[in-house]
Amino acid sequence: MAASAGAGAPILTLQGLTRRFGEVAAVDGIDLAIEDGEFFTIVGPSGSGKSTLIRILAGLERVDAGAVLLRGQAITDVPANRRPTAMVFQSLALFNHKTVGENIEFALKMRGVDPAARRARARELMDLVRLPETYYARPVTQCSGGERQRVALARALASDPEILFFDEPLSAIDYRLRKMLEVELKDLHRETGKTFIYITHSLEEAMVMSDRIGIMRDGRLVQIGPPLEIYQRPRSRFVAEFMGEVNVLPAAAVTGGADTEGWYVVRPEQLRPLPPDAAADIVFEAEIVNDYLLGSRKQFHARAGERLLIGEVAATAVGVPPPGEPVRLGFDLADAVRVTE
Amino acid sequence: MRARLSPGMLAMLPVMALILLGFVVPILLVFAYSLMPPRTFSLAGEPTLANYEAAVTDGYLLPLGWSVWLAALTTLICLALAWPTAKALVRFAGRLATLATILIALPIFISESVRLFGTALFMMPGGGILAGSLNALFGLKTGSILYTKTATLLGMVYVHFPFMLFPIVLGLSLVPQDQVEAARDLGAGWLQVLREVELPLAAPGITVGALLTFVLSLGANAEAAILGGQAVTVITKAIEQRFGYAQDWPSGAALTVLVILVTAAVIFPVLRRLDLDRLIRR
Repeated sequence: MAASAGAGAPILTLQGLTRRFGEVAAVDGIDLAIEDGEFFTIVGPSGSGKSTLIRILAGLERVDAGAVLLRGQAITDVPANRRPTAMVFQSLALFNHKTVGENIEFALKMRGVDPAARRARARELMDLVRLPETYYARPVTQCSGGERQRVALARALASDPEILFFDEPLSAIDYRLRKMLEVELKDLHRETGKTFIYITHSLEEAMVMSDRIGIMRDGRLVQIGPPLEIYQRPRSRFVAEFMGEVNVLPAAAVTGGADTEGWYVVRPEQLRPLPPDAAADIVFEAEIVNDYLLGSRKQFHARAGERLLIGEVAATAVGVPPPGEPVRLGFDLADAVRVTE
Repeated sequence: MRARLSPGMLAMLPVMALILLGFVVPILLVFAYSLMPPRTFSLAGEPTLANYEAAVTDGYLLPLGWSVWLAALTTLICLALAWPTAKALVRFAGRLATLATILIALPIFISESVRLFGTALFMMPGGGILAGSLNALFGLKTGSILYTKTATLLGMVYVHFPFMLFPIVLGLSLVPQDQVEAARDLGAGWLQVLREVELPLAAPGITVGALLTFVLSLGANAEAAILGGQAVTVITKAIEQRFGYAQDWPSGAALTVLVILVTAAVIFPVLRRLDLDRLIRR
């Protein structure tokens, strides 16, 4: 059974964690508490320091300052092979000279577990990650992309680690398989009840799987919270824009000059086409530039003066005129977020 | 209809001819001579195994044993020295590694005999560079290992070290760093990482290096002559004597065949297990 986020004491605490490469602080004074059983995802653009951070947590990178505590005990200087954690690497880093079974059993072999017990555990894990038993003796090089992902997962789980780290493991696989594995990872998290700390640059992955998300920028966590909260209540323009397409409107344009500081961020789904008699707090007279079908949703771009607005409605919705036609667009201030940085 | 050779086969013809004339034919000739009666220069004699019997009864197994033993020791010492050196070169790739590589490779471009005479000067007792410097600087009176078996071994290690090092560097570069980190992450200590990941993945490089070093050391002569003095007679020296001083070509040929057989006994089982493709395709 999975432990729910926020239910207990932190399993992992980061205190002022800093790692510099020359003049650049890849990780810059990070404080964070992750709870037992939580699925915590760190999202950030390339170069934001998220991979360095997870390598520090796994013990593969030293720190220049700060501390890592596991259940209150400092593990900052404990080497990777002595930490009760395991990582699924971006490249998966499977041992290509070994079979599926040998890969999965690796951590147990390193701990001196006898072959029969190792084999039993490997078969149990293969069942958990839905790998056919016949794959046990198969060279790992003969596995497909999805199967390799499953081997990597089973291998990381073998030693029953307290925390599992994931360094963008789904970044190099096709969309369909990625969506399937996102769901499987979420299921696995629920079934094992373990703490998962996941790194990705994909907002979508983070939204699907996480209990909480930390947005990382220039070595710092600029906002931490549940996915919906971060999506709906970003604290900065950076977070708003990073968490998906958004209309960023200068405050002066929204308030008619009453407030000139900062911006209002409005999600495309909050910007709606208005029938002639409908009202909204803020209304724009615009012209549809183009529209795009996104499966069950339809996105449209509309020009209001100098500004290009993005809106999104259900694919079957009426009221979005064809490109070139005028349209009244509006949103309520309660649906917008004002940010000042 | 006349069969026509493909362009690839045509391009291979000169090389095949060279191998046939420069390698296969001489070996066949040596083998044929080894079956001729002792001290004959003709291939028309009655075939006999007398030269092989003489190789055993006349004490030539001892030089052969010394050669195999020295070659094996050289290979092991070179391996032990080359592994950490190669790891450092691969890990700290950059300007320093390039400089180190040049320094290690540079002696290969100088005549082996010149290098060995230089080493002899270094080791010489009393007035040698090492003993002389120790005496002049610290007043230490030291002996010398020159003209000993140890000097022969050191010379062989010195000469053949690059032949072990560079294939191992190549082999180690086949070991992905993320697999080493994954092993560490999964609980492996450095010895377990070495055994489970580094050695198996770098095996093609290690094997090529070990084979090169062993085969070249087995055929080495100058180290024993220049640094070893008369301390040990290696099989190549014995072969040289049989062909030259003794003018007994069949006897020399029989000893040569024995060396070829020892070499083949080592090389072929190893080559059968070696994935050279992996090394070449890296």
